[in-house]
Amino acid sequence: MLILDSVYDLLTHIKEVQKDAIALSCESLLMISGFIEKNNLEIDDSVASALQYQDVISQQLTAIIEAIDSVQENIDRFNHSYKTDEDIAVDSMNKLQEKLSLTLGEAKDKKDRFSGKFANNHADEQEIEFF
Amino acid sequence: MPLVIFVDDSETALASTRMVTTSMPIEVKQYTEAQVALAEIQAGMTPDLIITDLNMPVMNGFEFLEGLRKVPSTQRTPCLMLTTETKAELKQKGKALGLTGWIVKPFNPAQLKQAITRVLRLPA
Repeated sequence: MLILDSVYDLLTHIKEVQKDAIALSCESLLMISGFIEKNNLEIDDSVASALQYQDVISQQLTAIIEAIDSVQENIDRFNHSYKTDEDIAVDSMNKLQEKLSLTLGEAKDKKDRFSGKFANNHADEQEIEFF
Repeated sequence: MPLVIFVDDSETALASTRMVTTSMPIEVKQYTEAQVALAEIQAGMTPDLIITDLNMPVMNGFEFLEGLRKVPSTQRTPCLMLTTETKAELKQKGKALGLTGWIVKPFNPAQLKQAITRVLRLPA
């Protein structure tokens, strides 16, 4: 289906942009941390937190890339069914919608899970918990 | 000096922990792949403390911990999970696998140092 092919290509582009953003932010942070270490600078709490933001950002973007992979996989399946037998297209469309809803649910769950203490409901999270 | 190993697939996360621990009386080794750290432990490396991320490709933090517990020399080695994950069920799973503690990212440098000092019983 032509419109889904366009969506598929758009998603591929979004993934590439996100992968580039992850790589650039990582490189940027490594340059800054390299400078700090090279000059034996002591970091305070705010700098330590700032350095860790990149990790959280990378995890969030990676989770979105995984969600996009899942959406593309389901578009592939739908397209295959559609091309094989147009009679089952409606059924395939319903299945696609169902899968996309599941993917969205998983992506939202990961947004919270990978936010650490930045997640709204974990602002007061105990920093270190010993068992 | 006690050997502390950090395992995290994020190089920037490792850089953060390296900068925070640089002034501590410990030897630090860092790994971006848990399976590589595990292989070195199986080959004879004996860390005094292991601090690992949970979500990593190939081998995650729980799988790494399970592997560690199968190696006689690290069956009782203290292990801290350093992760963005905050779910109670994951903490429970970690506890059941013998984790010493759970640290939520982003960590506070002073508290991370305190945790290492406490677990290794270093002079405060």
